[in-house]
This record gives sequence, structure tokens and C-alpha cells, in this order.
Amino acid sequence: MRIRNAVLVALGIGAVMYFVLGLTFPREDLHISVKAEALACVGGAMDTAHPGECASGFPITNSLVTTVIVDLLLILAVVFGIRKAQMVPRGFQNVVELVVGTFYDFAVGVDKKNVAKFFPFAATAFLLILLSNLLGLIPGAGSVGMCQPYAKAAGAGAEATHTASIYADWPLTCAAGELLVPYLRAPSADLNMTLALGLISVVLIQYFGLKALGAEYLVRFFNFKEGPMFTVIGIIELISEFIRIISFAFRLFGNIFAGEVVLVVLASLFPYMLPLPFYAFELFVAAMQAIIFSVLTLVFMSMATQAHGGGSHDDHGQEATAH
Amino acid sequence: MTDDGLRFIAMALAIGLGAIGPGAGIGVVFSGALQAMGRNPEAEGMLRTYMFLGFALAEVPFILSLVFGLLIGFGII
Repeated sequence: MRIRNAVLVALGIGAVMYFVLGLTFPREDLHISVKAEALACVGGAMDTAHPGECASGFPITNSLVTTVIVDLLLILAVVFGIRKAQMVPRGFQNVVELVVGTFYDFAVGVDKKNVAKFFPFAATAFLLILLSNLLGLIPGAGSVGMCQPYAKAAGAGAEATHTASIYADWPLTCAAGELLVPYLRAPSADLNMTLALGLISVVLIQYFGLKALGAEYLVRFFNFKEGPMFTVIGIIELISEFIRIISFAFRLFGNIFAGEVVLVVLASLFPYMLPLPFYAFELFVAAMQAIIFSVLTLVFMSMATQAHGGGSHDDHGQEATAH
Repeated sequence: MTDDGLRFIAMALAIGLGAIGPGAGIGVVFSGALQAMGRNPEAEGMLRTYMFLGFALAEVPFILSLVFGLLIGFGII
């Protein structure tokens, strides 16, 4: 009962603040960008007509900045974690060992035999994606940025700009004719990043498959000996390998980007208290997507290293002897 | 109705209708895995592997519809 009263009071204060702030601050359209926007251009100039794009040169996008921050955080954590490694860990080494050890136990549950080969990439992808997702959820990551000039589409007027992108009201404003380009953006909300991760993952899956089985690995794709049925199945398997790249990339991108859009839209509808449960859900999604990506990588690698048919029987044998 | 309007309706239909089947399918995958884990907790490690495999396979249609929806929405096809 006391909690409900507190929530009601908070909601009331929020509503009052919302109307006061809504009257005080001028409200302007918020631009939700599907792609990462450029903050600066190396050896080139910004495109003045389109904010967040380079007319020439190499674009330093906001997701690239966040990726570098994530990399530095991971490298620093490992360097400080194992700089003075001891048998009986103390201080920060405990945290590093806890994270790596927990995920190692998880990976052992997927494939006990080859875990030493698969673990490095899967764990790296897990930590990278987890930190990327979480960094995009830090308050200010999508709302603090620089103002870039923005020329609205001439002639057609407001109608044309509204069909071009999604807009929402937002109290943080730039001057008229300028658009907010955030400094930070979750790297996994950038399709380039997730596509790269998916490509690396699928290429590594093929590498481990070829290394473990040799030419026999290719039989599952090009099987002409066992009749036309298996030939067709092989072609479907080959196509599904390419679909894996797309599905890896778009699963991560779609979940994280959709989460950000949901948070922005809710915050623009009613900024006080309402986004909180969705924010908690996004924290859950951030961890879940990192786990799903790394576990799927482990599972596909494990499947690629198993021989054509009969692979599951070995597993049962191992399970029986282990218990 | 403008061309853009029609295109956005097509995108919404592609993504929304494509989400129905995988949504039900993922539910079936996880419910089956949870039931199996409840009946045979010792097999949890192996079941988890196949659970995520089934999850990935069940989600592929939605990912494809999302990709095609985005392609339609941005006017690429």
C-alpha cells in the first residue's frame, strides 16, 4: 500500500513536471536514425544537406566512438585483472575470473570436447556485445550530442520530411535548422557492426568444420552419392549457411535498435516513470542477446565439427560415462 | 494515398505478419525445452544446446520478413 502511494505521488509529480517542462522548453522533432551518424570526417568534409553523413573522406561515426570505448574498457579490464595474477585471486582479478569462469562453465555445457577451441571467440563476442548493448542504455548515450545543420527537403515541405523518417517530440533542442547527432550510439544498433560479427562468426564456423573434418565437411553441402534427395538437402544446407549471416546480423541489430526506438518514443510520450519498466526490459534484452549470439555460435561450431550423421551417438556415450 | 504511404503499410504488414508464426514457434520451442528439463534435469546441458538451435531456426522467418520489410520500407525493392 505504501509502495502504491509512493508510485502515485511520483506519477503525479511527473505529470506536473511534464506539463511545466513541456511549456517551458520548446519542443522539436527528434530524428531517429537507422544508421550510425558521422561526427567527423577524416580527410573530407561533412555533407551539409544531410546531417550525419560525409560528403567525402572516412566518417568517424558515433557507433565507432562507442566501439573504441568498449574495446578500451575490455582491454583495460583484462590488463588490470591479470597484471599481477595470483593463485589465490584478490581484488579485481576475482571479477575477471568470475565472468570468464561462469561463461566457460556455460560453454562446457554446450560442447565438452571442443570447448577450448570455441571458447575464445564466443567469450569475446559475448563480452563485446554485452558491453555494447549496455553502453547504448546509459542515460545520455542517445540524447547528448552535437548539432549539425539540417536542410529540410525543399518544395515538398513538412509532408516529405515526415515520410522520410520517424519523428518524435523532445525537450532537448538544437537551434532551428539543426539536428541533434548523438556522440554515443550502441555499436550493436549499427548494422555494420552486427554484420561484421555475423560474418566473422560464420567464417569461423566453416573454418572449425573444415579443420575438424577435412574434405568430409563439404559432403554435407555437395552430396551427390546418396541420391537426389540428399543433393537437395545439401543445397538447402548451403543456403542456410548464408542465411545464418543475415540472421546473426539482423537478430542483434533488430533487438537493440527496436529497444532504443521504444525507449525514445515512450520518453517522448511521457518522460517520467513510464519508460522505467521498458528500460529494465531492455537491460534484460541486452544480456539475452549477448548470450544468444555466443551460444548460437558455440552450437553451430559444435555442429560443424560433428561428422555427417552418427555424431549424436558419440555425445550420448560421453554423457553416459561422465555421469 | 501516396506511394510512400502504401510502401509503409506494406512494410508494417510484412514485419507484423511475419512475426506471428515465429512468435508461436519460439514459444513452442521453449515450452518443450522447459518440460523436458523438468522431467529430466540431468539432460539440461544437451537440451539447452538444442533449445537454442530450435530458437535460431524458428526465428529465421521473422528475420527474413524483417529484412524484406526494411527493404520495402526504404524503397530498395
